[in-house]
Amino acid sequence: MTASVIAPVAEPVRNRETNTRRRLPLRLLAIAYVSLLIGLPVAFLFGKAFGLGVGTFWHQITEPGALDALELSAKVAAIVVPVNTVVGIGAGLLLARRRFPGKRLLDLTFDVPIAISPIIIGLSLFLAYSKIGAFGPWLFKHGFMLVFSVPGIVLATMAVSLPYVLRSIVPVLIEIGETQEQAARTLGAGMWRRLFTITLPAIRWALLYGIALTLARTLGEFGAVLIVSGNVTDKTQTLPIYIYDAWDQVPTNDAGAFSGAVLLALISITVLVVLSILRARERRLRVDIA
Amino acid sequence: MSISLEKVTKRFGVTFGVEDVTTVIPSGALTAILGPSGAGKSTLLKLIGGLVTPDEGRIFIDDDDVTDVDPRHRNIGFCFQNYAPFRHMTVAKNVAYGLKVRHRPRAEIAARVEEMLELVRLSALANRYPAQLSGGEMQRMALARALAISPRVLLLDEPFGALDAQVRAELRTWIKELHDRIHVTTVLVTHDQNEAMEVADSLIVLNEGHVEQTGTPTDLYDHPASEFVLQFLGPSTNVFGQAVRPHDLIIVTAGQGWPATVTEISTLGFEIRVAIVLENGDAAWLQQSRAEFDTHPVTIGQAIGVQRRDATVSPVGTRLDPAARSTEAVPDDRALTQRAP
Repeated sequence: MTASVIAPVAEPVRNRETNTRRRLPLRLLAIAYVSLLIGLPVAFLFGKAFGLGVGTFWHQITEPGALDALELSAKVAAIVVPVNTVVGIGAGLLLARRRFPGKRLLDLTFDVPIAISPIIIGLSLFLAYSKIGAFGPWLFKHGFMLVFSVPGIVLATMAVSLPYVLRSIVPVLIEIGETQEQAARTLGAGMWRRLFTITLPAIRWALLYGIALTLARTLGEFGAVLIVSGNVTDKTQTLPIYIYDAWDQVPTNDAGAFSGAVLLALISITVLVVLSILRARERRLRVDIA
Repeated sequence: MSISLEKVTKRFGVTFGVEDVTTVIPSGALTAILGPSGAGKSTLLKLIGGLVTPDEGRIFIDDDDVTDVDPRHRNIGFCFQNYAPFRHMTVAKNVAYGLKVRHRPRAEIAARVEEMLELVRLSALANRYPAQLSGGEMQRMALARALAISPRVLLLDEPFGALDAQVRAELRTWIKELHDRIHVTTVLVTHDQNEAMEVADSLIVLNEGHVEQTGTPTDLYDHPASEFVLQFLGPSTNVFGQAVRPHDLIIVTAGQGWPATVTEISTLGFEIRVAIVLENGDAAWLQQSRAEFDTHPVTIGQAIGVQRRDATVSPVGTRLDPAARSTEAVPDDRALTQRAP
């Protein structure tokens, strides 16, 4: 790392200029590609939503249906993000630090939500826990209704956002190794003290990055939630489903859909910005270490 | 605080394990565990520290059976090969860690940290982060951190391994001085025999998980219990299938001793190396002081006789009575060349 930081300084200035000139077409291509794919469409969305007037936008996102959806999304995130953070840290430590039979299988299982479509996860949960499903009748008899209800949404969101904390921290856990924890142990520190004073501070940026990704995924999840929520207006609508619902109405509720979409995008962009700051900080930290 | 191991075995597969190790590490001494890589040196140290659990056998620190005691309750100071600095803490916080864990009063911690930093000469760098330290400074910080808790024993895993030659030499002398001052029972792991001979009061030579020999550096050098120890500790050459020290061979007039021919003479400052070929075609070499060589000079191609120096060295496998040894006269030149690699 140190070498790569020092190297450009030693490089002759002339050389760097030719490099920039040669890279220019490549840069333009990259910018054009990203603009056409994401930048322009999102800009149009913002233009459309605010084109109706800021007043209309405000009215749309504060109407009861939208507020309910926002509240439910926030509630789901408030449950899912902490739970998946704890599970991710635990499983991450297990995968990075221990050897046990079935480790590879566990490792692979954590990739399933990334690899397969969320709608498959939604359908699987439905098959397992709905009234016609495997455990559904038993659960229903004991007063639990997991499908078409908030617990179902939480369950589905938890499943799709499961891997992000784990995938962020495992490489860092492996990279820093176990010796700091062992040193703390020889100095008398117990398991929890080691976790909170040594391990977590050592992986803090990667962990925050993982939490931000989990939050973004939790707020944005649509497919899996759609299947298990049953789309009950005012009751089981998260923000993405509210947007879909507005768009799907006859006649289409344009203003509602676009305003909701912009609100969701604004939240996600905020998470994205925080995330990029964290990433920069982590990169700086690693250069320091090297 | 002495450390004793009784029939300790830890198996990992092919290498790095230890097999049936029984040994006593003397109280207050600086002991080096020495051996080639993969011999199980670090494993033995980690067994003492509790970071590795033995498959069989018992481990005692000062008569306490610590075999089943968690490392956090063994009260040991352990310095890791990569120093294991807590990277998110300053030097002072690193050193204070073990005391904070023990819930010592604030003022006491501050005083102890200051004392430790002074001991390792890092007071000026108390507020730096590990990333801002050199390798040698990080090593000293790790030592201060381990010593702050007043450990019963200090365990150092390859303490000079990752440092450049000059820092190594400095730190070696410094550790020796430090040990002379604080007298804590210290065990260090090294693969470098010169380092071990220079720094340690006693040696444990490991080979493929077995203890080959234990004793003082001089004892092991002069009376190796096996050919492995002889070859591992210092220079050796083969004469008719027998390993000997090159400085234990002397040149005599042709017709006496084993007939040989001089093939090469190299002058390395004070030391002269004479390469010879024996009657049976085997190549060997011997080591002389400049003065010794100048008294009876030889030339390349000259026919000579070679014989063992009739001196303090016993053949491999036999040991002299230490009391008897101390009364023997050691030739001056030998005293000067005995630590040459």
